[in-house]
Amino acid sequence: MISEEDFGVREEIPGQGLAIAAEALFLLNLLALPGLAFAILAGLWFRFRHDAPPLARQHLRQAFVVSLWGGVLIVVCSAGILLAGGLHEQWTWVVLILYFTCIHSTLILLGMVALVKAMGGQGWRFPVIGPKLDCQP
Amino acid sequence: MQYKSQAVAKPYFIAAIGLFVGQILFGLILGLQYVIGDFLFPAIPFNVARMVHTNLLIVWLLFGFMGGAYYMIPEESETELFSPKLALAMFWIFLVAGALTIVGYLTVPYAALAEMTGNNLIETMGREFLEQPLPTKLGIVVVALAFLFNITMTVLKGKKTSISLVLLIGLWGLAVFFLFSFYNPVNVVLDKFFWWWTVHLWVEGVWELILGSFLAFVLIKTTGVDREVIEKWLYVIVTLTLITGIIGTGHHYFWIGTPEYWQWWGSIFSALEPIPFFAMTVFAFNMVNRRRREHPNKAAVLWALGTGVMAFLGAGVWGFLHTLAPVNYYTHGTQITAAHGHMAFYGAYAMVNLMMISYAMPLLRGRAANSNKSQVLEMWAFWLMTVAMVFITLFLTAAGILQVWLQRASDAPLPFMVAQDKIALFYWMREWAGVFFLIGLVIYIVSFFVGGEEKQAV
Repeated sequence: MISEEDFGVREEIPGQGLAIAAEALFLLNLLALPGLAFAILAGLWFRFRHDAPPLARQHLRQAFVVSLWGGVLIVVCSAGILLAGGLHEQWTWVVLILYFTCIHSTLILLGMVALVKAMGGQGWRFPVIGPKLDCQP
Repeated sequence: MQYKSQAVAKPYFIAAIGLFVGQILFGLILGLQYVIGDFLFPAIPFNVARMVHTNLLIVWLLFGFMGGAYYMIPEESETELFSPKLALAMFWIFLVAGALTIVGYLTVPYAALAEMTGNNLIETMGREFLEQPLPTKLGIVVVALAFLFNITMTVLKGKKTSISLVLLIGLWGLAVFFLFSFYNPVNVVLDKFFWWWTVHLWVEGVWELILGSFLAFVLIKTTGVDREVIEKWLYVIVTLTLITGIIGTGHHYFWIGTPEYWQWWGSIFSALEPIPFFAMTVFAFNMVNRRRREHPNKAAVLWALGTGVMAFLGAGVWGFLHTLAPVNYYTHGTQITAAHGHMAFYGAYAMVNLMMISYAMPLLRGRAANSNKSQVLEMWAFWLMTVAMVFITLFLTAAGILQVWLQRASDAPLPFMVAQDKIALFYWMREWAGVFFLIGLVIYIVSFFVGGEEKQAV
């Protein structure tokens, strides 16, 4: 029987399961289920933002806010590049594809670190775009 | 170093680094030939430089894998190596055969080399990455079999751990799939079809098992996390690798004459191929985050984390970028493929070998870790090489996108060489990034010779 402990997840800190779910949804939103995963994440954030244990609250907040920022960085900025450069201009595609790949990969890598921190029962703030930590787990 | 026979790993590591230097030098020559077409011509034509660059890569990685296995297996099996003498004999045979092959590439026209080396007996030459003359290929088989015999016998007489078994499966797979390099059907479609059984099933199949086991071994040693936890992660990674990687071979079968269904199978399964690399990165970070000890060899831990990240980016993200059939229709064989190849090979296989060398070499030299000064230098080398590789990849990607636009997607497509001229700026930028990579590699080598206060072996 495989348990969460087998993969390095500790259940020592209250709210750890929710924290892991938040970061997993953040990654799912970027990788497999864009929109749907964010909707579930937003639902969790609004449901638990006041009464979840500090660790869960912190990860939910980080994942939710950074997903919004991610949306801006990926969708809005990409659309901006497309509009500014023009659909039929070769340099638009060079810049757009490089930008999209880099920003998307960066968010995924940061999401992985966030997930690892949640699995370790530790707090985490996404660099630059993550909201300030207001509570210590 | 717990077992005396682990010392046989040392010459393998030294040879690997030496050949790595050769690979990078030829990479720089090639990079320059992209923009100055007759650079070093006729002494080293482009096709020869390319062959040497890719063949040196394969050979130094194999040296690294063998050295890593010779270091790891005795410790995992808790017994001396079955035959250290056989390991040393195979080292010299492999090194001499490899060196002679490279000398052959550089001094004899390829067609003449084929004639001289008996290619008419079994026609195996002339195919990308598998250009080696017949005697070299046979030599590789002999060395691989002797190596596998040695390693397998060691495991059989000692303790069997999941990590050593995964490594064994990976290494046996490596040897078995190399046998397809001897199968060269006249039908070009069949030729390509089975050629990928060596090339793809190596790098996106069995080599990933070697990568996973090396990573697991070094993480156990450096973090002190329970073996059970690490082994369970390894099972998941191995499963994901094989599920996605085997049928993922189909992403090479688009428009080469294979049935159309491969476009679906190839697209779907290869789109899943980033998952094991994703798991590997989370695994490495998770284990380091949960570490129970502060290992003095910080550089080895850095390589371990780096290999996860760079393998995910190079093999996972850059692979996914052009793996779906509708995208690959435009990008097939462009500089986007080269971008993916560079970062994937560096991130997954060069870095995992450097990680193993970084962990094992100080122990082979009688200390737990190198001095701080040496490690700082090694970390500089890590960052220089890694950042340079990121830029090489970005510049090649930019070149590839432009190439696709000019040569493939346009209503008035340009001829290949005209398009090449128009993307030369990115080739120049890639060349400069390559120079920084070489500087990083030189610093890496210098770090072996820097003294200071060393951490004693425990």
